[in-house]
Amino acid sequence: MSVKKKILKAALRKEAKRIKKAARRRHCGIGCRVLRLFGKLIALLATVYAALFAVFFFDLDGKLLYYVVEPLLVRHYDRMERKNPLEMPYEMKSE
Amino acid sequence: MGFSIEASVKNVKTGVKKVREIHLSGLGEKLKAAAALFPDPRDVKLPKNKEEAKKFAHDFWCGKPHGERRLGELYCDKTGLYKHREWRGVKDTFYYFHMIWLYNYANMVMDIVKFGSPVTFVKGLWRYRWMGQTYLPVLHWFDRGLEGLRGEALRASAWHYRAMTCVTINQFMNMFEADGKLRNGAHNDAWHHAMAHKETVWGGIFYPWMDRFKHIPLEMVPYFVTCHVNNHTVLNYIDAVQSIGLPGDPCPMCQAEAGLFVLDDVPDYAPFLITSNEACDGSVASTAIQDWFWDRPLFAMPQPMQFDDPLVQEHCANEIRDCWKFIEEQTGVPFNWELLKENLEKQNELMRFEWEKWDVAAKTANYPINGVAQALYRIYQSQYGEHFIWHEVDKKVSKIMTKCVEKKIDTFPKTRHRVIAWSCSPLYYSNWCTWAYNCWGLNTVINMDSLMFDMEVRTDTLDNCVMDMARYHEWAPMRRMAVGGMHHIFELWDYMERFHCDMVMMYDQLQCKGMQGVVGLFEDEFRKRNIHAIWMPHALPDKRTVSRAEIRRIINDYMTTVMKEEPLDPSLLEFDDDMSW
Ligand code: SF4
Repeated sequence: MSVKKKILKAALRKEAKRIKKAARRRHCGIGCRVLRLFGKLIALLATVYAALFAVFFFDLDGKLLYYVVEPLLVRHYDRMERKNPLEMPYEMKSE
Repeated sequence: MGFSIEASVKNVKTGVKKVREIHLSGLGEKLKAAAALFPDPRDVKLPKNKEEAKKFAHDFWCGKPHGERRLGELYCDKTGLYKHREWRGVKDTFYYFHMIWLYNYANMVMDIVKFGSPVTFVKGLWRYRWMGQTYLPVLHWFDRGLEGLRGEALRASAWHYRAMTCVTINQFMNMFEADGKLRNGAHNDAWHHAMAHKETVWGGIFYPWMDRFKHIPLEMVPYFVTCHVNNHTVLNYIDAVQSIGLPGDPCPMCQAEAGLFVLDDVPDYAPFLITSNEACDGSVASTAIQDWFWDRPLFAMPQPMQFDDPLVQEHCANEIRDCWKFIEEQTGVPFNWELLKENLEKQNELMRFEWEKWDVAAKTANYPINGVAQALYRIYQSQYGEHFIWHEVDKKVSKIMTKCVEKKIDTFPKTRHRVIAWSCSPLYYSNWCTWAYNCWGLNTVINMDSLMFDMEVRTDTLDNCVMDMARYHEWAPMRRMAVGGMHHIFELWDYMERFHCDMVMMYDQLQCKGMQGVVGLFEDEFRKRNIHAIWMPHALPDKRTVSRAEIRRIINDYMTTVMKEEPLDPSLLEFDDDMSW
């Protein structure tokens, strides 16, 4: 089979698949749609779960806090203007 | 020298090449450093034969047995972060993931909502260093304390951490909800319904007003908790107080507590303050600074250092009565005996369960709580006083403990020595006992911090009650068994026997003048009684005086030279965690 024919055949197959899928969707009832949505939800939850597990296992939370969050916060605290308590004379003490 | 275009082009090309080389090599270094934060896939040893495959599958399913874990290899150099968290077998890893990591992160958020508003939380986090630097790495504090634990020991110890986290959130949210500094100096209703006290004043003193007022220790979260969770924070406060002229040798706890005020890092959350002289005169000195800088009505409630004399009991009880009068004057709300009784009875319930725990720890090998969880939970609970979360957690721990005893589960199976830890512990390395068990099989069964408040408070009459409250208050942290007289310091020998311990970890707080005075006496007694004791020098919250690596080296030296033992996990002998939280 020539290369051109191969490419044509593959394109046809793809198109047929697309048409079949569209037809299936058109004839899909409410139950089928709910099922499909449920499937998608499960896939999404599984992805989130896997991502969270990766964060946990590789201590990504610790690394983010140590290398990014804490230095930023420390920089902020170091630059903060603070009242100088020594300016408060001891005699000022309220009764 | 003549000018040639070729030469110039060549020079530019060489320059670009060099810059690129430098740039790339810099990038290379960075990539290398980043890669060092993760496990090297080349370290994964795939099984080569059937036997190895079996072992591989077993280790995956059950976790590696103690002795093969090489926990030290999980650490990133210096920071103490993990290349990856420990694989404890399928069951325990997923327990940790679901019931410790996810559960506690979720509850940290829920607690904020429960005890106040998220907006206030963010404001507080932005305003106070001890808050921002400490709250975030909480889960790492769990990790450090729970390293190597499996099964029921992992579960019971983690519940203790959960309770401490909840009470901490409750405290700082109460502070922020009332804080005038977050409200441009305005004092709201929460401010008028808050009572401030030094962390060494027992929360029980405030029970008669618990229905309408919140008692919030001044330094328990800003100082005490921060040292355990992120010990970088406290150094700012120690340095601050020294920067205004205090010499470096007084107790660093009192230095840090005063430093919080020097850096203006204390919320303005209550109209008055109750102080005491506990644990020692160091605390009196920090109170003087607090009194100056906070500038509000203050009641000092000193308790006798030598409290065994029955003559001082009445005086001590009167101090408490006077304190109540002061609170009545300040709040305009009368003392409520029923409320006091009710809360003391709840606290007695906690004490009774603690006694059960001690019994199991003393008489069996089935006690499911590790050294650091035991010490921190008990000192926190007994000092702060009544809180609903202690009861919830005790119920869960009771179930676990009953299971361990009924099924005779050996919770720390690699125990070689039963250790009692005595005197004031290093706050920046409270999890040393987790390390010591993993590395050497030193199981810290009990410690001084747990044993201080060893009593119920009678609630039959007000007179009996106040006398017992005075006694309880006198037995405050560090007072009874550190600076409270010879008899109490030497209670160590009785407790060693009671808990069947064969070794003492003797904390040596280098800046505690009280305990420094009795080092020689202890040395003599250890020799006379033929007791193995390791002196652990430290400077309470300040890791710069004796580092964690130095503490480990001292224990390693004792275990190899005196005990002539081999480590269970040699990878834990030496590692650098100097920059760790
Ligand atoms: S460690 Fe020693 S000096 Fe410091 S507060 Fe405690 S008893 Fe006092």
